[in-house]
Amino acid sequence: MNLPAWTREPLVHFLGLGAIVYVALAWGGEPVDPSSRVISVDAEQEAQLALSFEGVMGRAPTDAELDARIEQYVREEVLYREAIRLGLDQDDAVVRQRMVAKMDLTASAAAEAAEPSDGTLRAFFEENREDYSGQATLSFDQLYFSSESAATAAIESGATEGEAISLPATIDDEAVGEVRVLFGEAFAASALALDPSDEWQGPVASGFGWHLVRMRIRDVASSEFEQVRDRVENDWRSAEIEARKQRAFEVLREPYRVEIDR
Amino acid sequence: MQKTWNVRVAVGVVALAITGCGSEVSLDPAQTGNGEETIELAEFPNRPYWGDTHLHTDNSVDAFGFGTRLGPEAALRFARGEEVMATTGAPAQLARPLDFLVIADHSDGLGATRRLYDAPRWYVSWVIGDETVLRWYDMMHESPEQSTLAVAEIITSAADGTLPPTFSDPEAAREGSIDIWNTQLGLLDRYNEPGTFTAFAGFEWTAMPDGNNLHRVVMFRDGSDLTSQTLPFPGLGTAAEGLWDYMLAYEEETGGQALAIPHNPNLSNGLMFETTMPDGSPMTPEYAAKRAAAEPVVEVTQIKGDSETHPFLSPNDEMAGFGVKGWELGNLPLTAKTEPEMLAGSYTRSALLRGLSLEQQLGVNPYAFGMIGATDSHTSLATGDEDNFWGKHTGNEYTDETRANASQNLGTREGRFGWHYLAGGYAAAWARGNTRAEIFDAFARREVYATTGPRMSVRIFGGFDFADADWDDDWVRAGYTRGVPMGGELTDRGSAPTFLVSALKDPDGANLDKVQIVKGWIDGSGETQERVYDVVWSDMDARPRSAGRVPAVGDTVNRDDATYTNTIGAAELRTTWTDPDYASGQSAFYYVRVLEIPTPRWPLFDAVRFGFDLSEDAMADAVAQERAYTSPIWLKGSVAP
Repeated sequence: MNLPAWTREPLVHFLGLGAIVYVALAWGGEPVDPSSRVISVDAEQEAQLALSFEGVMGRAPTDAELDARIEQYVREEVLYREAIRLGLDQDDAVVRQRMVAKMDLTASAAAEAAEPSDGTLRAFFEENREDYSGQATLSFDQLYFSSESAATAAIESGATEGEAISLPATIDDEAVGEVRVLFGEAFAASALALDPSDEWQGPVASGFGWHLVRMRIRDVASSEFEQVRDRVENDWRSAEIEARKQRAFEVLREPYRVEIDR
Repeated sequence: MQKTWNVRVAVGVVALAITGCGSEVSLDPAQTGNGEETIELAEFPNRPYWGDTHLHTDNSVDAFGFGTRLGPEAALRFARGEEVMATTGAPAQLARPLDFLVIADHSDGLGATRRLYDAPRWYVSWVIGDETVLRWYDMMHESPEQSTLAVAEIITSAADGTLPPTFSDPEAAREGSIDIWNTQLGLLDRYNEPGTFTAFAGFEWTAMPDGNNLHRVVMFRDGSDLTSQTLPFPGLGTAAEGLWDYMLAYEEETGGQALAIPHNPNLSNGLMFETTMPDGSPMTPEYAAKRAAAEPVVEVTQIKGDSETHPFLSPNDEMAGFGVKGWELGNLPLTAKTEPEMLAGSYTRSALLRGLSLEQQLGVNPYAFGMIGATDSHTSLATGDEDNFWGKHTGNEYTDETRANASQNLGTREGRFGWHYLAGGYAAAWARGNTRAEIFDAFARREVYATTGPRMSVRIFGGFDFADADWDDDWVRAGYTRGVPMGGELTDRGSAPTFLVSALKDPDGANLDKVQIVKGWIDGSGETQERVYDVVWSDMDARPRSAGRVPAVGDTVNRDDATYTNTIGAAELRTTWTDPDYASGQSAFYYVRVLEIPTPRWPLFDAVRFGFDLSEDAMADAVAQERAYTSPIWLKGSVAP
């Protein structure tokens, strides 16, 4: 289903449904009678109760257990209706909080499910670009030396062998974050600053010692939208949920005049 | 009355209509499942993936009461490396992101404290009508300190089995859980990014008969398509076997997988690893098999102490006793003291030994488990780093000056102080990529290890034909193709097993002091034995063994500014080691313990940051050798039929 974007705006829902509600009230149709004293437990309702039992116990209820669940359901229903009749939902802080939460949830539910367009996400990505840095990828070779002097000597003599260590000698197309995991913060930062070259460069310090590095490819431009699209969408969604709650609140808040005595 | 009702119906219609619009959730299917076939995998497990399997958020009954107001979303953001604002108002961020996270809120009273806190006083007073609950309610609203005390009482009461029905009524709990569970599952899928960050569904099963901690963390391999078909299993009033049945039922019905991770055996007063059934009768093979299948891994180190071994159990191990002080006094709420004869059922090394014995009697080993570390943080902040310790709960977060020296008991009794708490540990999982399936499967085959915080890379392969020359070539391939990795089993071939052991330091942490192999076995007379071998250490030429012991590595920690230097120790330690005490037909296990050089613990960082003096006892414990414990490799000897 691909509706125009405005149909998904909570504001439109509020206004549109407000109109329907108004018509419904003016019409004066038959509302559900809260004082109805008929509780019908049909097959569908029973299945629902059985399912919720199964959700916890991991098996279907026995007949006796289902009967107990139905008894429980009837009890709730009776007390719920009677509570409504007595107006116990009024001025009750729990009910208030619950309803406030439901309104917030209502406003944000559309954002949970929304399918943002590429354009929307790209704009969000551009606005928050700094959050998506650090995704450059590197391809390089490295030789390890436990002392700085050995590394310096090696680069001067053109040696092509380092000392043994359980680190990969060759890194292909790894994100900087992954290089940081393997070699540490200091090394990743230094490596990112090396220009690609056929020559060995360094020594570059790491938490392990010193390294000569042959930077083959440094793809800094790779922190592109496509690579972080999922993350952008997720972040957009979080931001959108907050924004929609706020917008819905502002719409509802607008007609109120608040008087504060000082 | 009629009019009001109409309006209310109308509002309901609006709400329903709005919620009903556009319910097509647009998550990438790769995020919502178990991650199989979503990313390219390495041929062999290529690096340890780091995570915390034991994090509480404000949905945990105690965490909320202790003051935490950060929820699961903040927890996920923090774990993947973002800055979040902690409850106490300071920004919090990990120096390095984690690769995976299990949110493990208590299944009992999921969200209950929050519901109680939000209730109006008259409701608590008239409807709940329980004086104790009303007193807790008032304490929670009075001040953060009183709130902390109230929760301590709630935990003690849960431990004593005297919790009022508001908290323990399963029907009420179930209703409360459904919303929280389903909301959380959706959130976990949203943050689950195969190849980048893995978010697992889980919960903590919090059974503690008489205050003896039998807690397990349950983690699921699956996405919300399967996990939404179940609900967290209550801990109060149920037994471990009930939990395993619940897990089996989940697996059978959904085709998914779950595993349980016992934690804090150190606070179980010997009940976590018993040699009998819980009722004292002889253990049956069925029970042992069920336990082994459900619980492949134990959480051996976390904020509430370390459970590797106790000096009483391992008198010849000079490195035993890390994270034991304070915790060794008694059970979780300190309602019962720990007696020496209880210790063997409370620590993992002795449990591994008991497992070998039980296997001889039953033909199956109930305690053939691997080892991980975790935080058990109740702040929504999964950090095990000494210089970034956010406290056990919000009552003692990073900004609390007094937390290191202060008495910190769950109940009202004396005994445990702030500095007894560890900063917590991490789990390292050797996997071929970062997905739910890959990480979970590493746990299931026990190819995981524990650290007390640092991220050193530790490998062990066991086999019969490894040699020093293997190091010159692709030794990881050799390890996987000619032997078994940690968590694996070797079958006795009449010759001593040989191991390739490698430990690479944390690239942003301290150097390594030494690598040890801990061996446990059953001797010729059927007695269990243990021995710790120093197999490789830094500066071996300058530091030769004397009187059978490796001299101490030294100590570079400056107590005045909480710094150390890597001028001692080594970047990597590796060796090929053959068991010198092998006897044919012997049943044994071998695990690796790696020790870092001494570094400051969190109380020392606190003392420097705030400029106060640690108490004498705290100062004596302000510097420690952080460590890693791998899962064992078992040598299967002759097993009685």
